Amino acid sequence: MKIWSIALRSLRREWRGGELRIVALALTIATTAVVSVASFGDRLHQTLARQGSELLGADLVVHVQAPPKSDWIVRADELGLRHARVESFRSVVVAGEYTQLAEIKAVENGYPLRGILRIADSLESIDRPANGVPDPGEVWVDAQLLTQLHLNIGDSVDLGKQRFKITRLLTLEPDRGGVAFTMAPRLMLNLEDLPATGLVQPGSLVHYHWLVAGSEQQIQVFKDWMLARGLLDTDLRDASNAQPRFRVALDRGESFLLLATLVSVLLAGIAIARSVRHYAQRQWDNAAVMRCFGARQNEITAIYVTQLLVLALAVSLLGAALGFLGQQVFVNILSGLVAGELPLPTWRPVALGVAVGVITVIGFGLPPLLRLKDVPPLRVIRRDLGVLPVRARLVYGIAFISFAVLVIWTAKQIGLILWVLGGTVATILVLSGVSLILIRLLARSRASVHVSWRFGIAAIARHARSSTSQIVALGIGIMAILLLTMVRADLWEQWQISLPPDTPNHFLINIQPDQLSEVESFFEQQGLVSRPLTPIVRARLISINGRTVDPEDYRDGFARRQVQRAANLSWAEELQPDNKVVQGKWWSSEQFKDGLLSVELGYAEALGLKLGDELVYRIGDKELSVAVSNYRTVAWDSFRPNFFLLVPPDLLTEFPSSYITSLYLPREQNAKIREIIERFPNITDIDVDALLGQVRRVLNKVNTALQFIFVFTLGAGLVVLWAALTATRSERRKEIAVLRALGARSADLRLGLIAEFVVLGSLAGSVGAFAAAVTGWGLSKFLFELPYEANIVMWFVGVLLAVLLVVSASYLAIRADLKTPPWQSLRESD
Amino acid sequence: MREVNNALVEAQNLVKQVSSPEGTLTILDGVSLSIVAGEAVAVVGVSGSGKSTLLGLLAGLDTPTSGTVHLNGVDITELDEDGRAQVRADSVGFVFQSFQLLTSLTALENVMLPLELAGRSVPERDAKAELARVGLGERLHHYPSQLSGGEQQRVAIARAYVAKPRILFADEPTGNLDAQTSHHIVELLFSLNDEYNTTLVLVTHNPELGERCQRSFELEGGMLRGKA
Ligand SMILES: Nc1ncnc2c1ncn2[C@@H]1O[C@H](COP(=O)(O)OP(=O)(O)OP(=O)(O)O)[C@@H](O)[C@H]1O
Ligand SMILES: [Mg+2]
Repeated sequence: MKIWSIALRSLRREWRGGELRIVALALTIATTAVVSVASFGDRLHQTLARQGSELLGADLVVHVQAPPKSDWIVRADELGLRHARVESFRSVVVAGEYTQLAEIKAVENGYPLRGILRIADSLESIDRPANGVPDPGEVWVDAQLLTQLHLNIGDSVDLGKQRFKITRLLTLEPDRGGVAFTMAPRLMLNLEDLPATGLVQPGSLVHYHWLVAGSEQQIQVFKDWMLARGLLDTDLRDASNAQPRFRVALDRGESFLLLATLVSVLLAGIAIARSVRHYAQRQWDNAAVMRCFGARQNEITAIYVTQLLVLALAVSLLGAALGFLGQQVFVNILSGLVAGELPLPTWRPVALGVAVGVITVIGFGLPPLLRLKDVPPLRVIRRDLGVLPVRARLVYGIAFISFAVLVIWTAKQIGLILWVLGGTVATILVLSGVSLILIRLLARSRASVHVSWRFGIAAIARHARSSTSQIVALGIGIMAILLLTMVRADLWEQWQISLPPDTPNHFLINIQPDQLSEVESFFEQQGLVSRPLTPIVRARLISINGRTVDPEDYRDGFARRQVQRAANLSWAEELQPDNKVVQGKWWSSEQFKDGLLSVELGYAEALGLKLGDELVYRIGDKELSVAVSNYRTVAWDSFRPNFFLLVPPDLLTEFPSSYITSLYLPREQNAKIREIIERFPNITDIDVDALLGQVRRVLNKVNTALQFIFVFTLGAGLVVLWAALTATRSERRKEIAVLRALGARSADLRLGLIAEFVVLGSLAGSVGAFAAAVTGWGLSKFLFELPYEANIVMWFVGVLLAVLLVVSASYLAIRADLKTPPWQSLRESD
Repeated sequence: MREVNNALVEAQNLVKQVSSPEGTLTILDGVSLSIVAGEAVAVVGVSGSGKSTLLGLLAGLDTPTSGTVHLNGVDITELDEDGRAQVRADSVGFVFQSFQLLTSLTALENVMLPLELAGRSVPERDAKAELARVGLGERLHHYPSQLSGGEQQRVAIARAYVAKPRILFADEPTGNLDAQTSHHIVELLFSLNDEYNTTLVLVTHNPELGERCQRSFELEGGMLRGKA
């Protein structure tokens, strides 16, 4: 009780002292940033989950080799989930003399559960959302099928034993997208009509998709229930594993956002550490007096720890509240990404923010306060008695551990953790070492320079320890600011480069070898720029290492689907820039005829392939034997044609192949595509424009969010500077007063101070720029997996920024002291 | 009475007021005095009577609300801050009750400061000699925190005398020291005063110090009582 009231009273009194305000400000910035970013992440995830759901047509898709079992349906109904069956297969569609292989999709009423199906009344009319699915007896088809069968809306087609009337043109299916290049034209009918066609017989290859939708909790309960009944994770698709292209881009964005936040927290921590240390020094007298009047050591500790905790909690709550309110900004950023209302924020980010605030204050601020109990009571008589300064190792140790806890806790990616921690430690070490060396060198040079510079330099050299910590603090601040501005800009540019405006939005597949020259000249005529034509050979996997492949051997749904259908083999002389060999070796020119196979890493893992495995494929009536020679990773978000399987260029010359290409076509030129399909009816067009636009929009929003967070980081950096200045201010005031009493002219003093600040700033700036360059390189190389180019400008900007910032801020802070009559300063310094 | 133009320090009708929450506070109320070269004078009075304030004004470390101070024949109240700094660098030394050494400088560097500020050559030799004179020749590279209070005051005295000022101002130079040490410091001050013929202006409560001076001014409520 006594301790409580002493702590609070002194907290109120000391609030005016300055240091505690800095602690509060730094903490507010840190918690506000954490809460804002965490809420943003939270909402972005919910938003994207919903969007992912739209791309699936459901929240959860069960993809197994049979229609849903009746107990599944019972359970889903019990949980109040909506559900719809979709069955798809390939079949020939006949219209008079024309036939065409099409992808048939039979849908149950209610499809799609998420997203919208869009239809039009004719090829020329504008499309609109569909209300429901085709009525029994009717079918909807896409433009491709209509063109290839030379039909119009209202005509009839035969499918199996049944005749249907075409009533609508299908323009958009939410769940039709993704990476598969084998899509044939589409025909959609009502599931009720399917039995009558007689097309689905035991043994026919049908894909059964069961679409389920509901609230997040319901879906989770249902998913767990399904998994408990022996279904595999890979049989169940939800938004989180849909759309790998999205995920890659988004993960990068999120990592960077998190990084920016952590940097703000780190900067705030540095400011707090400095301010609390200074505060503790000022508390020596009070502690000594309290000890004199009988306070026990642990009471002293309790008083100051209570004080710090009360402050930490109060300010963290304030920051969290601000962050929570600040979410409105993010609502604006995110608006337009999804239709309808944004998902509501959750309380998790607020709790996180408060916890981060308290941990930061304890980690960075506690050590110097813990030493207050060691103040000798004799200090009351002999003022020169102090406490031993806290050992730097202890301060940095505790601060580092608490920062590590924060990083590990908030970051999900181990790479980010390692880079941030490694970068921080390396920076602190390098900065301290370099600063000390530079300070020593400076001390030597001081005899040879003008008296003012000599004072400035001498001041730095004489305060070697405090100068070093000042340079380190500023250097980290500069590093953070540079890292975030420059590297962010670099990364953003890389994103732009990897998704330039002319990123292909159409894939044309199934181009026959004898059409190549014709197609190419058509492109030329139309002024279309297409990527090189890439060959594909369709091949069915029959054995691995002599063992016949049976889809039933694969528990993994993805692997099972891959071996069930024909694979696309392509060939290449060289590795595409968006591919990377991670194990094994790419082929040399002597091996161009050899039976080698390069496999995408995820594909190899799903099928359990090892380097050296012998795979036999059937192509038409021939067989081809290849050995796995390397694994590749593929940047799927590059929007180029990419393949799971590649062979050397001269291996498949004997086999029948078709070609694919990709091209960019502005929306308003879509008629050209129709023209191509009309001229070459066997060619299929896959339109990924919508998907591409979506990826771009998400990246844009993440970038905007980054800029917003950057304001916090900048704020935190300035607080560090302020803390450093406040900590040294009273000593500086006294120094200035004494120098003036001894006859120093203000011009000399000013020049000396500027010299000191310039030197301090350039030291901090150059080391900070160096650290930023190294960390940026590491981040982009190992974490974001983007090419990184060192930015020389950054060095100059860094040094300049630091000098400018330090000189102007310090000078502004100290200017008043240059004018105060020295007597007054000396009186106050006693 | 001495001729006015012989005076080294000449104060006329000094008034110092400060504004406080309770209104304007008059600390000094029309103080006039003059001090001749080579003299040693004491300023005495009860605590709060305005001694330190007067000393600050005489030394040009502070500006009066009204009145003038002539130092060495120059009206320092007419000068700007840099002008006063120049006067101080040329002819004034200080010793403070709380020493006011720069904690980041060694004893030697503290003593070198006035010489460096005045742009003198070879400041190091003079500073070492001065420190030896106050008995700290062996402690050149110690920082103030490594010295006792008496030793710190001796460094401050060395710093005050090193530039051979014509006048030395000291505000309770023995106020923070024990009797024995005070005695040493007083001896030191006066021996240097003799050696360099420096004018001494001391604020003190120490009777020993007061007795050693030729004259003393007593302040009471911001005004001079009958002059000695
Ligand atoms: N800047 C200021 N603001 C307000 N009051 C002041 C200021 N400077 C001095 N005073 C007041 O003026 C009076 C004289 O102060 P001064 O320090 O000159 O006294 P002093 O005679 O030196 O006392 P002591 O012997 O205790 O040192 C005191 O009452 C003091 O509180
Ligand atoms: Mg006084």
